Amino acid sequence: MAEEPLVVEGKRVLGVVPGVPPVGDRKIPDEQESVMVWPHLLVRHAVAALAVLLLVLIVAIFFDAPLREIANPAVTPNPEKAPWYFAGLQELLSHYHPLVAGILVPGTVVLGAMALPYLDRNPDRHGRTRRVAVATFTIFLVAWIILTIIGFAFRGPDWGWVWPWNAWYGEL
Amino acid sequence: MTHNNELSRRKFLTRMWAAGGGLMAAAGAWTGWDLLRPSAASSLTAQVKTLPPQAVPATGVVEIKAARGYLTREGDQVIALSWKCPHLGCRVPWCESSQEFECPCHGSVFNRLGEYRAGPSPRNMDRLATTVVDGSLVIDPGNVTPGGPLGPETIDEPPAGPRCIGEGH
Amino acid sequence: MTIGKRFRASTLGRSVIRNPNRVTTRDRAAGHWSNFFLHIYPVKIRRKEIYFRYSWFLGVASLALFGSLVVSGIYLMFFYVPSPTTAYGNIQFIQTQVPFGQYIRNVHRWSAHFMVLAVAAHMARVFYRGAYKSPREFNWVIGVVLLVLTLLLSFTGYLLPWDQLAYWAVTVGTSMAAYVPIIGEQVSNVLIGGQEVGSATLIRFYVLHVALLPTVGVVVIALHLWRWRKDSMLDTEHDQQEAM
Ligand code: HEM
Ligand code: FES
Repeated sequence: MAEEPLVVEGKRVLGVVPGVPPVGDRKIPDEQESVMVWPHLLVRHAVAALAVLLLVLIVAIFFDAPLREIANPAVTPNPEKAPWYFAGLQELLSHYHPLVAGILVPGTVVLGAMALPYLDRNPDRHGRTRRVAVATFTIFLVAWIILTIIGFAFRGPDWGWVWPWNAWYGEL
Repeated sequence: MTHNNELSRRKFLTRMWAAGGGLMAAAGAWTGWDLLRPSAASSLTAQVKTLPPQAVPATGVVEIKAARGYLTREGDQVIALSWKCPHLGCRVPWCESSQEFECPCHGSVFNRLGEYRAGPSPRNMDRLATTVVDGSLVIDPGNVTPGGPLGPETIDEPPAGPRCIGEGH
Repeated sequence: MTIGKRFRASTLGRSVIRNPNRVTTRDRAAGHWSNFFLHIYPVKIRRKEIYFRYSWFLGVASLALFGSLVVSGIYLMFFYVPSPTTAYGNIQFIQTQVPFGQYIRNVHRWSAHFMVLAVAAHMARVFYRGAYKSPREFNWVIGVVLLVLTLLLSFTGYLLPWDQLAYWAVTVGTSMAAYVPIIGEQVSNVLIGGQEVGSATLIRFYVLHVALLPTVGVVVIALHLWRWRKDSMLDTEHDQQEAM
């Protein structure tokens, strides 16, 4: 063998062999396999937390918290708006007796939510057999979101209907 | 082996501990509740001296800010209505054009005597106790009688004009 | 040697930080167990759970916002006296005179809004993933308690600026309680502390907002996370069959 040896980065290459790399096959991550929380989960959680905080810190630069006139028991503002997360409740209250809209409906929703895991005994987590559970939950969620949006943005003086692009009465 | 219905010492002690704990919890809860109940001093106690009864007109109402209410005439009687809406507590203003009480919050409407006409309110407007002292009506804003149940109106005073609140519903 | 390393090598350092350098898996686990803050976390977790698509990190987002609320809230407490004669003026003072007052108030308010959103979204995500199923049923129940606590925290805080928005929202909200059969009247009276929303209401809501509810919240959140850790490596038989 009179041939000059091949030199790569100062190392002499003695040969090339076909087959698997010395460390074994490339790993295909197994979803069920367990991994160390430190660092795999912690670093992701840290990034998520920082991203959320950054969002808040930036929003707080541009949007000031509201402060209306000082409280006055003799004047009710019109419209009188609850904070947005209760706007759905307020919308219900304008239609039904307070015992129904203010107590029975929210009470049933909270107790129903607590009972959910005991009512839904289907062990399947993602399959098609969950259709009833998914449909029920989705109906409640969507109904609540719609009520909240109506109460928040579509109600004006005397709790009358307004189009939010014509007049804005939402309060945060 | 002891009989089933015989109380073992351990069982007895356990029950006693449970009973003692329950008693303490009940006492604590009761005391806490009692502490937090509003004292008489925190209600509106100041009596509000207003007009002589004959000065209250036969139509319309007289607003008495200090008593958080209105005076209005029911025949020879003068009654005081609380301005707090029986629905959810907004202040109910008097609407001059329709001669009604109209709540802006959820649109409850009451006639001049505070009797229910429309909206989500479950009862008539609440009344405040009144007495006559030295020829003047005195309102006791701390003494509230809940308004009566919904029923036919006892006076025939239909809306006199357009309502102040829109027909939003 | 860096200062940090030198400190950890010293007698004092070793007495403070017990975890070994995290080189091997065993070190990491040991470090985990000897750290109060990390022991909230499981040591190991299924790989699928570390990705965004699993939880969308909404539980973590809720937790981060809760932290932000505690920090900004404590700052605001230094300048706020819960009385109808002072509250409104204090908020004006915070906005105009206190260094970063307006900004911190904004952070507190926005964190509160986002937290309600994040908690609700977390709940929805947990539902759609089916993560409330056996053996995690009870953690879901605790979660619902947390949702209610979050709403109560927001609502009690809403009264504190003592402006028109606050006053009437709370008047209407507490009137609602009066409709609970039998005890409603009493509950409403205890909440308001009188006939109408006034100084007694303000101090009650203040105590609820800055002391009672946050304390209960911290305990319940700890319970929630602890159960999450305990359940993290548990799977239903169903899952195991699925994985096979
Ligand atoms: C104060 C509000 C809450 C905080 C701070 C919080 C925090 C967390 C955190 C950090 C996790 C683990 C990581 C993750 O899945 O993102 C978690 C998991 C969980 N949360 Fe929450 N949570 C809150 C409210 C809720 C609510 C309202 C529900 C549902 C009703 C809920 C149900 C669950 C369940 C079932 C798990 C376990 C999920 C799993 O193991 O995959 N939590 N929570
Ligand atoms: S508070 Fe008057 S109608 Fe609801």
